[in-house]
Amino acid sequence: MSLELFIQNLINGTLLGFVYSLVALGLALQFGVMDIINFGHGEFVMVAMYLTFWISLFLAIPGSATVVLTAPIFFVFGIIIYKLVIDKVIEAQPLSQIAVTIGLLILLRNFALAAWHAEPKGLQYQVLVGGFKVGDYVISISRLATAIVSLVVLIVLHLILTKTYFGIAIRATSDDKVAAALLGVNVKKMYTLVFGLGCAIIAIAASFIMTFQQVEPMSGMTWGLLSWVIVAMGGLGGLSGVLAAGLIVGIAQGIEITFWDPRASLAIVYLLFILLLWFKPKGLFGKR
Amino acid sequence: MFLEVSNLNVYYGMVQVLWDVSFKVEEREMVTIIGSNGAGKTTTLLTISGVLKPKSGKIFFKNEEITNLPSHEISKRGISLVPEGRRLFPNLTVTENLLMGAYNQRAREQRFETLKEVFELFPRLEERKKQVARTLSGGEAQMLAIARSLMSKPSLLMLDEPSLGLAPVLVEEVFEAIKNLKERGTTILLVEQNVAKGLEIADRGYILENGKITLEGRGKDLLKSEKVRKAYLAI
Repeated sequence: MSLELFIQNLINGTLLGFVYSLVALGLALQFGVMDIINFGHGEFVMVAMYLTFWISLFLAIPGSATVVLTAPIFFVFGIIIYKLVIDKVIEAQPLSQIAVTIGLLILLRNFALAAWHAEPKGLQYQVLVGGFKVGDYVISISRLATAIVSLVVLIVLHLILTKTYFGIAIRATSDDKVAAALLGVNVKKMYTLVFGLGCAIIAIAASFIMTFQQVEPMSGMTWGLLSWVIVAMGGLGGLSGVLAAGLIVGIAQGIEITFWDPRASLAIVYLLFILLLWFKPKGLFGKR
Repeated sequence: MFLEVSNLNVYYGMVQVLWDVSFKVEEREMVTIIGSNGAGKTTTLLTISGVLKPKSGKIFFKNEEITNLPSHEISKRGISLVPEGRRLFPNLTVTENLLMGAYNQRAREQRFETLKEVFELFPRLEERKKQVARTLSGGEAQMLAIARSLMSKPSLLMLDEPSLGLAPVLVEEVFEAIKNLKERGTTILLVEQNVAKGLEIADRGYILENGKITLEGRGKDLLKSEKVRKAYLAI
């Protein structure tokens, strides 16, 4: 094993870490504001990846360009799922919420298995291909572009949350929904929009993930597991917490791949998570 | 009629908390509801605000029925509650908390002028405007809670135990601020455990005991009444 390989894996891990943050961002936003964990989160990512695949195929446009369609479609998808499903359990006990969102997970996964079968699908039309060399190291263009898009989305969301009235109201609702309602915030409407916004972010992530990965009906599992770990690690620290946790997970996987079997990379993530729970039970940035 | 509450019956689950509660507040009047812990004072305010739904009874505001409207709709009509325990947004700055006060369309357009007025009224808050609310002291937090309500340009300001948990010198300060608001013509419904203070500054008062209104009258008269003196002032 060489130092070059280690550094190469570190670079890849860092780039991947940004995407992880972006995927977890949708979940963190929904959880932070609505206090509900969507166990179907990973499956939403999977469905958005298929959506990217089909739009790219039928319109013959590159996967990265489908985002102008997948994001709005998923915003609407999120609103429909909220109205039909989430809204019914938003005031219910956690057990009902878990049961319902796991129901979403199973529904979407089985639907994908039945409709699209098990074989992986990858994009036919691509513009983000190849890579370039920096010294001895190769940087993949698709992964770099995805990392940049992730960072841009994070920054834009941060600006929305801190500089706009809508964003301040989102944070206020997250802090205390009764107080927000007393000041005139329509909390249910806020939840609907936030769920839609979270889903739009999922779609942006998914469309770019498709530029370097294939999708199959089980793809959602990995993304779901990673997102829950990232939100648990960094969620309470706001957006910077999610970014930091995403990078830690990505880099940890990069290091693991260098020294051990790549198939164990998810195990390492969970090992890291359990260690963190030992030493910082409230997460990396837990204030509450 | 400005605010009229009639025959309100409110339950927490199976337990009845308010029994046929009726009272009125006229425009520009300051009314206080006093009573001991658990008498139903907070419940009354939360029901007017739409956080709790009554089993029966009606609430009218400016001759319009508002019973069973959601909180944000009631807020839109000009009723603002400074809730018990203040309920600030702990992770928002002082300015952001205040801007949230002006969330209503009606107040939003004038939010920057109102912000200026509110800072004049509470200069301490201006000094702290970039601080997040959870770092404020108890007195500052109470000022912010009141100021946030004022940002909504309320026609009716409801205050739930504004003096609770404050040091005596701060209690004075808070009551000064409330008196000041009254003089500026704000209609106020004040709920207090500090019976002497509440009755002293209010035009009229109602005594709430075990969820029932047992006595009403002018603030000064109630202060002199045998019953109030015995039960609440320990004289």
